[in-house]
Amino acid sequence: MSDVIIRFEHVSRTLVSKSNGSEVDTTILPDLSFEIEKGEFTAITGPSGSGKTTMLYLMGGLDRPTSGKVFLDNLEISSMSEDELSEVRNEKLGFVYQFHFLLPEFSALENVMMPMVARGKYSVSQARKKATELLSDVGLSDKLNSKPNQLSGGQQQRVAIARALANDPVVLLTDEPTGNLDSKNSAMVFDLFKELNEKHKQTIVVVTHDETFAERTQRIIHILDGRIHSDTRLKEH
Amino acid sequence: MNIALRQLTSRKRQTILTISGIGVGVMVLISAVSLMDGLLSSFIDKIVNIAPHVVVSGEKVTSIVSDTIYQAKKGETINLIKNVERQDEEIIKNYKRVENLIKSDPNVSVTSPVVNVTVIAKFGTISQPLEVFGIDPGPQDEIVKFSQNMTEGRFTELERTPDGLMLGTTSAKDFGLRLGDKLQLVSNLGKTFDVRVVGIYSTGINDIDNNAYVNLRVAQNIAGYRPDEVSQIYLRVKDLKRDAQAARTIEKETNYKSKTWEEISSSVIALYKMISMMVYFLVFFVILVAGFGVANVLITNVLEKYRDIAILKSIGYKKKEITVIYLLQGILVALIGAAIGCLLGYVLIFIMGSIQVTPSESNTSMRSDRLQMGKSPWYFVLASLFAFVVSLIASIGPARGAARVNPVEILRGER
Repeated sequence: MSDVIIRFEHVSRTLVSKSNGSEVDTTILPDLSFEIEKGEFTAITGPSGSGKTTMLYLMGGLDRPTSGKVFLDNLEISSMSEDELSEVRNEKLGFVYQFHFLLPEFSALENVMMPMVARGKYSVSQARKKATELLSDVGLSDKLNSKPNQLSGGQQQRVAIARALANDPVVLLTDEPTGNLDSKNSAMVFDLFKELNEKHKQTIVVVTHDETFAERTQRIIHILDGRIHSDTRLKEH
Repeated sequence: MNIALRQLTSRKRQTILTISGIGVGVMVLISAVSLMDGLLSSFIDKIVNIAPHVVVSGEKVTSIVSDTIYQAKKGETINLIKNVERQDEEIIKNYKRVENLIKSDPNVSVTSPVVNVTVIAKFGTISQPLEVFGIDPGPQDEIVKFSQNMTEGRFTELERTPDGLMLGTTSAKDFGLRLGDKLQLVSNLGKTFDVRVVGIYSTGINDIDNNAYVNLRVAQNIAGYRPDEVSQIYLRVKDLKRDAQAARTIEKETNYKSKTWEEISSSVIALYKMISMMVYFLVFFVILVAGFGVANVLITNVLEKYRDIAILKSIGYKKKEITVIYLLQGILVALIGAAIGCLLGYVLIFIMGSIQVTPSESNTSMRSDRLQMGKSPWYFVLASLFAFVVSLIASIGPARGAARVNPVEILRGER
């Protein structure tokens, strides 16, 4: 398999912040080029502030590069309009964040259905059926109608993963998915990712500084001060 | 959409407060409009029913002798010396002929000659000025409808009693007069006339209830008129919308000044309109405040939901869709508020309409023991529409603010 899913071409990202009336430029990513192939389970590691989260947002079209190009599934997302990006995010990407970010007014089932009905791709009954399947895949078939605040942290994160998978994303982008969980729940989430990757050939990018988590993936890109410090492909376990 | 509804219901207390704010605003607007409209229209109804539609007076439209025979051209200067005119009393001479002329207009249904004279009335120790109208009881009754408004005595008595006098309740109270009492009227020529009270009426319009009526001949004697002279001719028209047209025709044909009821009561109508204007302004501010309430609910909602908005964006909702969600919340609040307001307004109109009030004694108003409430579906439509527009405008700001939320800032925890 050598299909390239994500490609960065000389991507830089500079933040302009105003302090005391003068503009201060902070370069987060000076010049970054790399590729991620289809079916890869990649971990991006590095100390906080190294720019790994920015990389993830650039992949997801949530942030734009200052210069350079970002390709997702052979589409240049770095030049798309905001509404086009919304569509791409809906159809090709699934996000999981450190905090679950579920909508508190809606049940687990409704939260998972939301990306499916957003674009009108699924009818409500189809969406309900699929959301039920996804939730039972993550082991929550008995919590369909629970509100987020009735679920434990691990359960909330699993609902978030189910939601990220709702539209069969090309890539699953996750930002510190275990950062807020205890070791038992972390292991459960990791096993879930592993299973997705092996069974469904799901491309997954995980930003993490959990070394044990990273070591169990297939590839570790270590970032230091916005540059790739090391890029290691690991043997399959 | 579903999301809008859920976010509203999850913040019940604030939503209910805002909805009731709009509801109260709409209710106040409806009842205020109804009250003002009701006052004005019942006033007009009464005038139209009881007062003459057109009054022809002895005043001439154009002076008999014109001031200048030479028509000045542009640029010329004329030294104009005003012709001396006879200070005629304003009398309609040969009124029968004038009446016939007026009646030739098919729109005119009744004409009634009137002699209007102010006298000093003496009763016991009281002597006060009194406005006395000499009338031809038959046709006059068709205009003012005395026979329907008699509180004491009978209207037909006036016709049968040459020295009879009929009083309005207000003037009867002033003098302490009762049926059968005798009093003296002193004219400005110094002559004294003895009359007897044969009837007391109450129309509800103070202007009319302040007066007294005698037979035409008596009033002509008091005023020193000849038998073919009167001071005014009252008339009613068939088509009220064309009363002004009738008045102008009469002016052209008879050269006597004619005024329609709108012109006669213009100051009162203007006063009513001014008061309504003030009320509308106050109510406008009530609704404006309710609009701020809507904006407040939505702004706090947007602020609280920054995270959710970021999530919605990251799972693929577009800017426009986010705007719609929050606009929809504003619209929902406005709609429910307006509906409740309409309901409350309807009830309030009903309650206000049944409240007993002490009749006012002021000269210009009319007396009534109830508040006259106007009833028209338009009040509800207009008030709801107004509240809706205000809330819609109030929700545009927060809704657009929601759409501008940058997901990266939220997800990074920068806000």
